[in-house]
Amino acid sequence: MTEQKRPRPGQLPRPTRPVRPAVGPRGPPRAGGGRGPVRPPHGPPAGAALRLGRPKPRLRLLSVLLTLVMAAFVIRLVQVQIVDATTLDAKADVNRYQPVQIAAQRGDITDRDGVPLATTVDAYDITADPYLFTPGQAKVSGAPQKAAKLLAPLLGGDAKTIAAQLATPRSRYVLLARGRSPQVWNQVKALQNKLAGQASEHGLPGLLNGVLAEPTSKRVYPNGTLAAGVLGFVNAAQRGAGGLEAEFDKELTGRPGTMTYAQSGGQMIPQAGIQEQAAVPGTDVELTLDRDIQWAAQNAITDQVKKSKADRGYVVVQDVRSGQVLAMADAPGFDPNDLADANPAALGNPALQDAYEPGSVSKLMSMSAVINQGVATPLTHVVVPPTLQRGDRVFHDDTDHGTEDLTLAGVLAESSNMGTIMATGQLGSTQAQADRVLYSYLKKFGIGDPTGLDFPGETPGILAAPQDWSTSQQYTIPFGQGLSVNAMQATSIYSTIANGGVRVTPSLVRGTTGPDGRFTPASAPRRTRVVTAATAKSVTQMLESVVGSEMGTGTMAQIPGYQVAGKTGTANRVDPATGRYHGYTSSFMGFAPADDPRVTVSCVIQNPTVGSYFGGSICGPVFKQVMEFALKTLQVPPSGAQAPQVPVTFDPGTPARSGKPAR
Amino acid sequence: MTSTSSFGGYATRRYTPDRGTIGRMLARDSIVRRMDWVMIVAAIVLSGIGSLLVWSATRGRTAINHGDPQYFLIRHLMNLAIGIALSIGTIALGHRRARAIIPIIYGLAILLLLAVLSPLGSTVNGAHSWIVIGGGFSLQPSEFAKIAIILGMAMILSGRVDAGDQLTPDHRSVLQSLGLAVVPMGIIMMMPDLGSTMVMVVIVLGILLSSGSPKRWVFGLMAAGTTGAIAVWQLQLLNKYQIDRFAAFANPALDPSGVGYNTAQARIAIGSGGLLGKGLFHGSQTTGQFVPEQQTDFVFTVAGEELGFVGAVVIILLIGIILWRACRIARQATDLYGTVIAAGVVAWLSFQSFENIGMTLGIMPVAGIPLPFVSYGGSSMFAVWIGIGLLQSVRMQRPVSA
Repeated sequence: MTEQKRPRPGQLPRPTRPVRPAVGPRGPPRAGGGRGPVRPPHGPPAGAALRLGRPKPRLRLLSVLLTLVMAAFVIRLVQVQIVDATTLDAKADVNRYQPVQIAAQRGDITDRDGVPLATTVDAYDITADPYLFTPGQAKVSGAPQKAAKLLAPLLGGDAKTIAAQLATPRSRYVLLARGRSPQVWNQVKALQNKLAGQASEHGLPGLLNGVLAEPTSKRVYPNGTLAAGVLGFVNAAQRGAGGLEAEFDKELTGRPGTMTYAQSGGQMIPQAGIQEQAAVPGTDVELTLDRDIQWAAQNAITDQVKKSKADRGYVVVQDVRSGQVLAMADAPGFDPNDLADANPAALGNPALQDAYEPGSVSKLMSMSAVINQGVATPLTHVVVPPTLQRGDRVFHDDTDHGTEDLTLAGVLAESSNMGTIMATGQLGSTQAQADRVLYSYLKKFGIGDPTGLDFPGETPGILAAPQDWSTSQQYTIPFGQGLSVNAMQATSIYSTIANGGVRVTPSLVRGTTGPDGRFTPASAPRRTRVVTAATAKSVTQMLESVVGSEMGTGTMAQIPGYQVAGKTGTANRVDPATGRYHGYTSSFMGFAPADDPRVTVSCVIQNPTVGSYFGGSICGPVFKQVMEFALKTLQVPPSGAQAPQVPVTFDPGTPARSGKPAR
Repeated sequence: MTSTSSFGGYATRRYTPDRGTIGRMLARDSIVRRMDWVMIVAAIVLSGIGSLLVWSATRGRTAINHGDPQYFLIRHLMNLAIGIALSIGTIALGHRRARAIIPIIYGLAILLLLAVLSPLGSTVNGAHSWIVIGGGFSLQPSEFAKIAIILGMAMILSGRVDAGDQLTPDHRSVLQSLGLAVVPMGIIMMMPDLGSTMVMVVIVLGILLSSGSPKRWVFGLMAAGTTGAIAVWQLQLLNKYQIDRFAAFANPALDPSGVGYNTAQARIAIGSGGLLGKGLFHGSQTTGQFVPEQQTDFVFTVAGEELGFVGAVVIILLIGIILWRACRIARQATDLYGTVIAAGVVAWLSFQSFENIGMTLGIMPVAGIPLPFVSYGGSSMFAVWIGIGLLQSVRMQRPVSA
């Protein structure tokens, strides 16, 4: 290379020396060039360029560098486009195809006639973009306040709150109101358009241009508080959060669909790459409830709870033959449409979720056991002393009395605790044996076990095994203290007797209607015989004397034209707050017509504080009201037959008719 | 080459006393024969590919193309035509004749740059570096300032060498030329347009390197730059987000909604093209408008996605051909003035190309620098074609007297 022979740059400058010729590639050397000691001895070959002192090797180095960089780029391209191509292509598809979930319409919950109790409607979440309310965008000052004043009456909110939301700094999204009806959104839109029209004349943006809406759906309960405890409610995500809405959430929800579309610049490209998997709407659930009977029950119990200033109360109406629940009402209730204002304590379904000591209504099971075991008949004489020493306790009846000569029917009619203790004592040769026999009957009546409704939060009640019964429990369980039930379990006892001794597992759901429109009836309820038909008949007659005889405690439940069988209960109530007995649980349960039972109605009122607390006085009228309505609704004809008169007392002179004399 | 229709098959041109226009053009020593056609063809092919890529990137962008799918294509082709015309004008003027008016060119460039800072300027994508002319055209004076820096430095550095007084530029010329370069760079930093400043720094280094300036200047400047960068980093003069933005080219997660988004989307676009690409106009990332600034700074992603590895390599090769020919011109230049001009253009085009492609490939930091000949943008297109004109002029070594 010629330049190697040139002087090092450090030896410069030698300004006096002519240095450098300028020679064109093909042209002749210019004047003054081509001389000098720096020239190589032989000169460059003809036509070859003369070289500069130093830049040329640097330029060659530069070329090599550029080539290396280009090679590096090609290698990187191989890495990105060949090695990683599949991964990156998949990412491109993620970009390209936008999946959207299509919400499935939530199934309806209807009553037994298909009248919707819970349904889903279109709604809008009203939102806003606070940026468009800033002075720079709205072109007016105080836009949030002005807009809020217009929006508040439409959205049903507070103008100050809305103004504060619209003035949120550095935000592009606020939720003004959730689940407003399409009408509300139409009103907002109309106002928006009107204002935008007016403003555009002055070249300004409309005041409400920043108000937006997101279509959504909303669960509504057209009947408000009706059967709210049974239906439950949905949460903000429209998923069941209580009651049947929660129990059947999976079926009601259906399966959401997806739609995938190709997008460009954030917009859907019509007709391009659209894949749609339709949503499967939720299943409709048809309940056994009768809307009218439910209303009557709810009305009656709400009034009585209010009148008695009670903690709460519940009414269950059950079809005797099918076991279907026709009404399950509680008070105080709530409006599932407006959970925000609901009393949190009232959100449940206490008819299934409250365990309480049933008291005297439980005596029906004791009587059934005694008669079914053949140790007594309704006419068996029971001499009830004024007080009775058993174990470590002295028992009385609700009303003090001297020694009474009662039949077994009379024991039930007067609701004598001592008489019941004496009668159940006959169930075994020892008390332990008697306990085991009574326990087996209680179990068969469904006490201590889930009702079979599978209702969320349902309580199975409390029934200890007989060997665990304490000394006092041995004598209190026969008259309904020392064990706990829920109102449905208690109702089922009466339905079992009404149904000739066969227990039908209660049910709340008649069937479901799938997305294909086909109705699937619920599986048939389990039927188990608890007592013989003869026992059931005898006990029914005894129950009739509770309502029908002058000495009976349930005379207020009489319904003209119908024979009514029923039983009062006034139990000491365990205060859930302290765990001690405080106040009363008043109840009345029964069925009608006693000669051909169709409907069981139970009424339970917890802790009545004003007026009477006797079950017959406060629950009797509720029973009567609901039963009358149910019989009319079900079009049960009055039989007009007279109730059989079972003697409730006996003359001590006459010998006992059958069975062993009670101790 | 077109046939010599006026002469048919006659091989008697030499004896013709008056040669026609075409004949003159085809003569051995004619301008046309002395031009570097390899480079010109490469530049035209590259510009043609660029037009298609710009068209593809903007066909569907209704937000910016005013509903006309050809809006950007038409303007790009007009820019290209103007650029080629400017190139021809540059050749006609000749770099040597231009030497006399370099102070005027430099002064004009400075004036335009100052105009950007005046109310005439407007801001695009955070950089206040445009002068909007109207009709969808705008001027970015920093592009022309690059040429002014190349010419000005070439003039100063080569002045005493080409006069035969010195073998290489002395310290005084180097200082003077640096001072000349720093003024426009300072103005551009105020816009702020970091990308253009970076290009100019590389141009200055390239010129110093190729002019034979003392080593200590070249390496001294590099060392100073590195020390400065380390100092800025160590003294925490930058906020964390600024560092994250800088580093996001390598790890998009550092700035997922800003630079990292561009980088990630660009890489997805290029990678999803695979070996042969999805076909022009069929790239899903391109039609889906996921890559921001795809017609300008990220135009290479269109090539990567729609033309695939093959297309991307072709673009790199075409740039390589232009740079190879430009290096050759720099080497073969007969005077330092020509060498420095050619080397300055090489430094300019190569750095812009490598920075631009490197940033889309995620191996260079993201900077708003267009890809020469390919990216949409009038000023850039005009400037690079003027650069081609300068290179051709250097190659032809047109005598001053011609």
